Amino acid sequence: MSFIEMKHIEKSFDGTPVLKDVSLEMEKGEVVAMIGPSGSGKSTFLRCLGQLEIIDGGSICVDGTYLAKSEGTAKAVYADKATQQQLLLRMGMVFQQFNLFPHMTVLDNILIAPKMVKGMKEADILPTAERLLKKVGLWDKRDVYPSRLSGGQKQRVAIARALAMNPDIMLFDEPTSALDPELTGEVLRTIKQLAEEHMTMIIVTHEMAFAREVADRVIFMADGIIQEEGPAEEVFGAPKSPRTKAFLDSML
Amino acid sequence: MFHVEEVIMDYLLHIVPIISEGLEVTVSLFFVVLVLSLPSGILLAMLRLSPLTIVRRIVEFYVYIMRGTPLMLQILFIYYGLPFIPYIGVQLDAPTAAVISFVLNYAAYLCEIFRGGIQSIPKGQYEGAKVLGFTYAQTMRKIILPQVIKRVLPPLANETINLLKDTSLVYILAMNDVLRITRGIVQRDFDTSAFIVAGVFYLIMTFVLTNIFNYLEKRYAVYDE
Repeated sequence: MSFIEMKHIEKSFDGTPVLKDVSLEMEKGEVVAMIGPSGSGKSTFLRCLGQLEIIDGGSICVDGTYLAKSEGTAKAVYADKATQQQLLLRMGMVFQQFNLFPHMTVLDNILIAPKMVKGMKEADILPTAERLLKKVGLWDKRDVYPSRLSGGQKQRVAIARALAMNPDIMLFDEPTSALDPELTGEVLRTIKQLAEEHMTMIIVTHEMAFAREVADRVIFMADGIIQEEGPAEEVFGAPKSPRTKAFLDSML
Repeated sequence: MFHVEEVIMDYLLHIVPIISEGLEVTVSLFFVVLVLSLPSGILLAMLRLSPLTIVRRIVEFYVYIMRGTPLMLQILFIYYGLPFIPYIGVQLDAPTAAVISFVLNYAAYLCEIFRGGIQSIPKGQYEGAKVLGFTYAQTMRKIILPQVIKRVLPPLANETINLLKDTSLVYILAMNDVLRITRGIVQRDFDTSAFIVAGVFYLIMTFVLTNIFNYLEKRYAVYDE
C-alpha cells in the first residue's frame, strides 16, 4: 500500500464537476508537481487532501489510515473527528496568499499552532522555531509583523510555520503565484531544500522549470482529469498527450 | 462690594456636588451595560453567522425588533409591561429593568457591528488556522476576533459614547442620574445654568472615552493587514 492513496476522487461545486475520477498514489519522500491550466482542478485536488474541501466520492488514505472512503458508487464517508484531526496534523499546507496571521509577529506566527494545537510550552518550541526561521533566513525578522515583509519573505515564514508542526507531508498551493517574479527564487530555493531532505510534497505550480527540476513525478491536469503523468523528464521532454504538449508550448 | 461673577461662581460650586451625585447612577449603569453587552454582541454575531438557517433567522428577527423600536419604549415595556405577561411576568426594580433593557438593545447594535467585522476577515485566515489543526473555537478566539476588534474599534467608540448619553433615559424610571438631578435643580431654582454644568459633565466623560479609544486604536496600529 502506498503512503498516500487518493482514489477516484469526485468533487463538484454547485453541480459543476471539478474533479472527475482523479487518482494519485505517492510514496514517502516523493515529490509530485501538479501542473495544468487555471480551473483544471489541481488546487481543489490538493485542498481535498488538506481537508479544506469535502470530497463527493472516492477515497483518501494516508499511511494506512482512511480519511474518507466510499463503497461502490455511494457518497464518500469521512472518518471520525479524531482521525480527521490526526491526519490533518500530518499535513502542512502553504497557500498562494500566505495566510499569515497579521496581528502576530513572525515568531508568534510560528509558535501559535504548536502552543494551541499541541499544547506545547513556548520554551520547548523556541529551539525549533529558531532553527526553522534560520533555515528560511528570517530569524532576524522574528519580531516583525508580516505586513513589513516582502511577499517572498511572507511565503518563507508560512513555510516555516507549517514545518513547525512537524508534518510528514507538505502541500503547496501555487506558492509563488502571488509573488513578483524576482521574489519567486527565494521561495523555490526553500522548497527545493525540503525536497533534498526527502520531505513528501505535492506542489501545485505554474513554474514549469521548477517543476521539472524538483519533482520526481509530474501530473498534468485539465478539465478535472489527469491527462498525463510520469517522470518529470518524460512529461516535459516527450509529452504523450496532445493536451499536455499544447499546454507546455503555451507556457514557453 | 457685590460681584455678579462671584454669585454665579458660588451658585455653580453649590450645584456641582449635587449633580455629581448622579454620576453614580450614570457611570455604574454605563459600565454594567458595557461589560454585559459586549460579550452578548459577539455571541449574537456568531449566532447570526450560524450555518443553521433557523438560528440566523431568530437573531435577525431579534435585531430587527431591538433596532426597530425606541429604546425608551423598551425600557417602559420591561418595567411596566413585563408584570402583565402571563407566567414569566415579573415586576423588576428600576435599576434591573434599566440594565436589562439597555443590554438587550445594545447587544443588538453590537451584534451587527461584530458581524460586519467577522465577515470582513478573509477566508484565508480560517483556512490557515484550519490546516494548522485549530478548532473553530480556537480560530475565533486567537485568530479572528483579535483582528475583528481592530476593525470595529471606530464604530465601537460610537456606540460606547452613545451608550453613555443614552443612560440619561433612565430618568423615566425615576432613577437619579446626572440629567434627572439637573432637571430637579433647574425646576427648583428657576435657573437653567445647571444644564450647562450637566453638559460639561457629559463632555468630560466622553473626553475620557474618546481618549481610551484613541489609545486602543494606536495600540492596534502596530500591525497592518
